[in-house]
Amino acid sequence: MILGRIARVNERVFYGVLGFVGLALVWETTANLGLYRKSLLSTPSAIWKAAVTDFGSGTIWPHITTSLEEFAIGFFVSLVVAIPLGLAIGWFRRVDYSTSALLAALNATPNVALIPLIVLIAGIGLESKVIVVFLSAFFAVMVTTSAGVQSIARRHLEITRSFGGSQWLAFRTVALPSTLPFILSGIRIGAGRALVGVVSAEFLSANKGLGFYIGLTGSFLDTSRVMLGIVLFGVFGVVLGELLRVIERRFEIWRPDIRS
Amino acid sequence: MTGHLALSARGVQMEYRDRGTGKRLLAIESVDLDVPDGAFVSLLGPSGCGKSTFLKIVNGLLLATAGEIKLHRVAKGREDAMVFQDASLFPWYSVLDNVAYGLVCAGVPRKEARVRAAPYIDLVGLQGFADKYPYQLSGGMQQRANLARALAVDAAILLMDEPFAALDAQTREVMQAELLRIWNTARKTVLFVTHQIDEAVYLSDRVVVMAARPGRVVADITIDLPRPRALAVKRTPEFAAYEEQIWRLIQHDRAPSAGEPTP
Repeated sequence: MILGRIARVNERVFYGVLGFVGLALVWETTANLGLYRKSLLSTPSAIWKAAVTDFGSGTIWPHITTSLEEFAIGFFVSLVVAIPLGLAIGWFRRVDYSTSALLAALNATPNVALIPLIVLIAGIGLESKVIVVFLSAFFAVMVTTSAGVQSIARRHLEITRSFGGSQWLAFRTVALPSTLPFILSGIRIGAGRALVGVVSAEFLSANKGLGFYIGLTGSFLDTSRVMLGIVLFGVFGVVLGELLRVIERRFEIWRPDIRS
Repeated sequence: MTGHLALSARGVQMEYRDRGTGKRLLAIESVDLDVPDGAFVSLLGPSGCGKSTFLKIVNGLLLATAGEIKLHRVAKGREDAMVFQDASLFPWYSVLDNVAYGLVCAGVPRKEARVRAAPYIDLVGLQGFADKYPYQLSGGMQQRANLARALAVDAAILLMDEPFAALDAQTREVMQAELLRIWNTARKTVLFVTHQIDEAVYLSDRVVVMAARPGRVVADITIDLPRPRALAVKRTPEFAAYEEQIWRLIQHDRAPSAGEPTP
């Protein structure tokens, strides 16, 4: 009865949770049936136990806050740089010409390959992680932003010119609003990349952070704690995704709602 | 007011260079056109005759390769305002903000632009839709908003680029009658581009018939039907005679190039 009402009121949340619970049940049962070795994949109950222990003693908190800090600073800086740069590249042909080859070359280099160099320059502390996170998110945000500007409908730009409006007015009233959906998907993709950046940087050289926690517990064959780290990243991803959804909704009142 | 020319064009020519072949294409050979103040003049012709191109030259969106355009100077505001074909409203703006946009382009602060735009929403029959977004409007209503945006800047001449081409037949007739009602109220000069003979005859004081390849004027026909015109005028013999006359002009022009592949 109550479940039925929740299912109707917020279908998305209800079935989202249902999916999680279902997977956990299947996982737990197949492990208990002995279909594979528990020590390899762990089980939801073992992960829960590890979580209770580590959160209870507080030992996991520094890892979480460290990773969050690296993510927040690196991602924020990448947005602050990539969005204006993407707008400039999309709007001014000459900025595009003078930067595109350079940026394409940089983009082609796998970020992981740069980590040893970055560590050499910036050390194994916060700075090097922030740089890796920045680089990981930067291109996705910049490329989607500039592509968004370049796909503005010509007829919309014509309207400003037709009524004698300035280029600056066209940028503010036409380019920005029509690019906004692109910027938002850039942010969405970039957030995922930034998270990958956090983990890979912490794997290679760190003494704190969730990536380090996963690496460390993995080397002790403590799969429950490895899984706990992965789950925490997953939870963070879901929370972040929901946050972005709220922001997207706010900005897109003029779009017909396709989902409902 | 009377006796002034709202628009005077002399020897307007438009040449393009085809990007693929590099050959020069004459979109408009040479157009002379006088539009008196307060008149409703239509440019009628098949696609490729340069009628929309001519309109964009008048508006300043395109620069003619030769010739001269004179617009009647007005004390303040723009000389001309364009009503575009379909889907020219900004989807991210409400109807009110779209209608106010022409004024914003002219440097009017947004708040004041909204206040000045509001009466035009009523004039075009969109009462109660000021806060709606374009996707919530039908095609006919979108074109009403499009018209209101052009009217709001209070330009001396309205340039209309096939504004009803994308509407269904019934809505188009309603909009034609509405346009005449609004024209009667707002007392604007109108230069109206269309490829539909009945639309041009019904609306206009004069129909300027154009032909393609190269774009040129082939006839300038004065429509001597009484005003105000109800839609019923379309079923009178006089109306039919005008349609017939223009249809023959276009057929005559088309005949030699029949069977020619269209680009």
